[in-house]
Amino acid sequence: MAEQVTPPAGFYDELFDLEGAPRPHAAPLAAALEELGPERLLAAGRRRDAIFTQQGITFDAKDEDGMVRDRPFPLDLIPRIMPASEWTQIKRGLAQRIRALNEFVDDVYHGREIVHAGIVPWSLIVSRPHFARAVHGVRPPGGVYTHVAGCDLVRDRDGSWKVLEDNVRVPSGVSYVIENRLAMMRLLPRLFADYRVRPVDHYPQLLLAALRALAPAAEGEACVVVWTPGPLNSAYFEHAFLARQMGVELVEASDLVVRDDVCYMRTTSGLSRVDAIYRRIDDDFIDPLEFRPESLLGVPGIVRAYRAGNVAIANALGTGVADDKAIYHYVPEMIRFYLSEEPILQNVPTYLLRDPEQLEYVLGRLDELVVKPTGESGGTGVFIGPSTPPDELAALADVLRRMPERWIAQELVHLSTVPVVGAQGTLEPRHVDLRPFAVFGETITIVPGGLTRVALGEGEMIVNSSRGGGSKDTWVLEETSDGADSPSGAADAIGHQPPQLPGLALGRWASQQQQQQQQG
Amino acid sequence: MLARIAHELYWLGRNVARAEHSARMLDGIFLAELQGQPDAPAGVMLSWGSLLAIMGSSSPDASRERMLDTLALDPDQPTSVRASVTRAREGARTVRDVISAEMWESINTFHLDFDERTALDVGPYGLASYVKGRSALFWGVASRTMLRDEAFAFLEAGGRYESADMVLRMLRVALPPVREGDEDGSSPLRDGQALALLHAVGGVQAYRRAVPEPPNAVPVARFLLFTRSYPDSVAASVDAVRRALTAADADPRSSEPVLRLSRLSADLEFRGGGVAGAGDDLIEVCEIVERELAAADRDICERYFGGAAAAEHLVAHAP
Repeated sequence: MAEQVTPPAGFYDELFDLEGAPRPHAAPLAAALEELGPERLLAAGRRRDAIFTQQGITFDAKDEDGMVRDRPFPLDLIPRIMPASEWTQIKRGLAQRIRALNEFVDDVYHGREIVHAGIVPWSLIVSRPHFARAVHGVRPPGGVYTHVAGCDLVRDRDGSWKVLEDNVRVPSGVSYVIENRLAMMRLLPRLFADYRVRPVDHYPQLLLAALRALAPAAEGEACVVVWTPGPLNSAYFEHAFLARQMGVELVEASDLVVRDDVCYMRTTSGLSRVDAIYRRIDDDFIDPLEFRPESLLGVPGIVRAYRAGNVAIANALGTGVADDKAIYHYVPEMIRFYLSEEPILQNVPTYLLRDPEQLEYVLGRLDELVVKPTGESGGTGVFIGPSTPPDELAALADVLRRMPERWIAQELVHLSTVPVVGAQGTLEPRHVDLRPFAVFGETITIVPGGLTRVALGEGEMIVNSSRGGGSKDTWVLEETSDGADSPSGAADAIGHQPPQLPGLALGRWASQQQQQQQQG
Repeated sequence: MLARIAHELYWLGRNVARAEHSARMLDGIFLAELQGQPDAPAGVMLSWGSLLAIMGSSSPDASRERMLDTLALDPDQPTSVRASVTRAREGARTVRDVISAEMWESINTFHLDFDERTALDVGPYGLASYVKGRSALFWGVASRTMLRDEAFAFLEAGGRYESADMVLRMLRVALPPVREGDEDGSSPLRDGQALALLHAVGGVQAYRRAVPEPPNAVPVARFLLFTRSYPDSVAASVDAVRRALTAADADPRSSEPVLRLSRLSADLEFRGGGVAGAGDDLIEVCEIVERELAAADRDICERYFGGAAAAEHLVAHAP
């Protein structure tokens, strides 16, 4: 089976090297896959769809005929494996980046030092759609704004990791990380046999601890809630998942009410105080008094309660300014400015089109670059030069000339590939990215691995699930004491001997044996 | 009712409950054992060795495949899930005239559909789903179709007794003694096993809704021992056995098992109300409860089954 995989030229395949032989850490996996064979992989795929449909782990996808249907979440059955040393590097790089982004948010709404130092122009910051005047001068507990962050990473053709995008507003996908792992362990336990994979299921506890720590000092346990826009939201599954896993209430706007700058939820026993809100709703909709007045999803007065320090909100209001695609360009500079460190993870080279020189340069290379709108997410409005027809590119050039500040251009990254199980049960290479999830509480903790998204069409580069992408379970291997990766099997390493318990009684009636003797 | 019939019903309940608990445990521990160790202490680390200790059997070769075979499917291994289901079905056959036809049908189908190959192919998750579904069906049908008479009381008493016993066994194994150097009774080992235990009994969400603390060893053990609002806790099960026997007994006030279970129930209530103790106290509580439960089982045998069925214990431990 392994010989059927030929990595496409010019791309880095994470499982197989250029000769098509498995990379050292992937050898046991390749062997296990070969042993399973196409038939059993396909059977596991059918079981996966059945389980996901039963459990309601689905998402809406458009069919070819344009109909929106509920589909089982497309988890590919081949895991992506990351050796411990590689992960350590990514983890450090991300923690550094998130710390800098957090400093930046604080700076934007307070001293504006980075502006005074001439690094980021103020006019650029205030023109960002997610810049929030309403929270100027507000500093949340511990000075943490970006409690939950998910950065999108990609791997270039030389195998190096680069940051493609930062998400510090409401990154979603962590529920799929946990569900994917559970599904993989149930469907193909055999694949885990030769690896020690680091678990991911502690994320909800990390998040809960971070949220509790945020709450204004109150007697007893702080009351934490998850705020969802409602069941029609595409990420509702995740909202409900996190609320259930943390054992907290999942609220909608109509459940919350603000009285005298204190936030309450309506319960069967009257109003009950809410101390911290994990909101899965954008700034714009949160409070009709401060942001969009027509928002029906918001709670009037919540921003006042927030400013008064009576309720904590995660992520903090106004963090969107840091994950704008135009601000992204400055993150390496931020790291140097705020932390006096060199960035561990590099950006993809980016051109800001508000600069006339860069605009001209980009217009000349439109068919080679990727052009993205600054304020969007989810892969909407992205043009990939080489795969866009010339007439569309010409139209795009017009748009760019008219509104250059709304767009950025990036060098095309040759996303790495990992094999997926194809329709015939054979392995086929597909492009992937990686979104690790970090929780910023007292320190920054990053769940090992993250969500690997995979473009399911051959040669396709857009991995977003709303655009037909799938996902993969991502394995970070345990580090052994001697620094090598992946020992196999060492489960009882702790060497604990369980106590001896009496044997289980079976409750035979004395006459039964006689009866059996008669029959015999 | 005939002592023999009461005994069969009691064991029918026990065998069905045992099959379900064992299957859940197999699934929980299998999952826990597949992964490496977590970052945070609250990870999952129960192992096959623990499982063998809980099931009270031993196997020289503790590899995954062997273990699954033995504990799930081996008809000759008396503590396997399959053997429990078979015994439940044999018991149900004996009392076919007493239980409802739907109950007999559900337990018979449970036994007949227990297909060895399917179970192995789908793995412990498939096995656990099957066993959970079938035993829920059995208990559901029982609660809808069976007269609340003495017969129902013995069935119920058996099922709840077994739940208490299994949870207690799991706790005993998951709560190894505190080692020197561990602060306030918490250590990664204990805490990890505690979470695996919650997964294995299916109580994760109930715990998260009921207890604000993270699922570390001491709060999890307290939850599974004392929280009466959680139906699978030892306290809830002990109380349910007491209630069932009270209903079945013509003179519960002079019934040794009822009195013993009442004392145990009150004791659990009292201990549960106290402040969270260090882990060692909980181990002691588990040992006491286990002793009392075993004594109650002997009392039950003595009083209702005429002592005719000397509870024959299978001791499969290596000497």
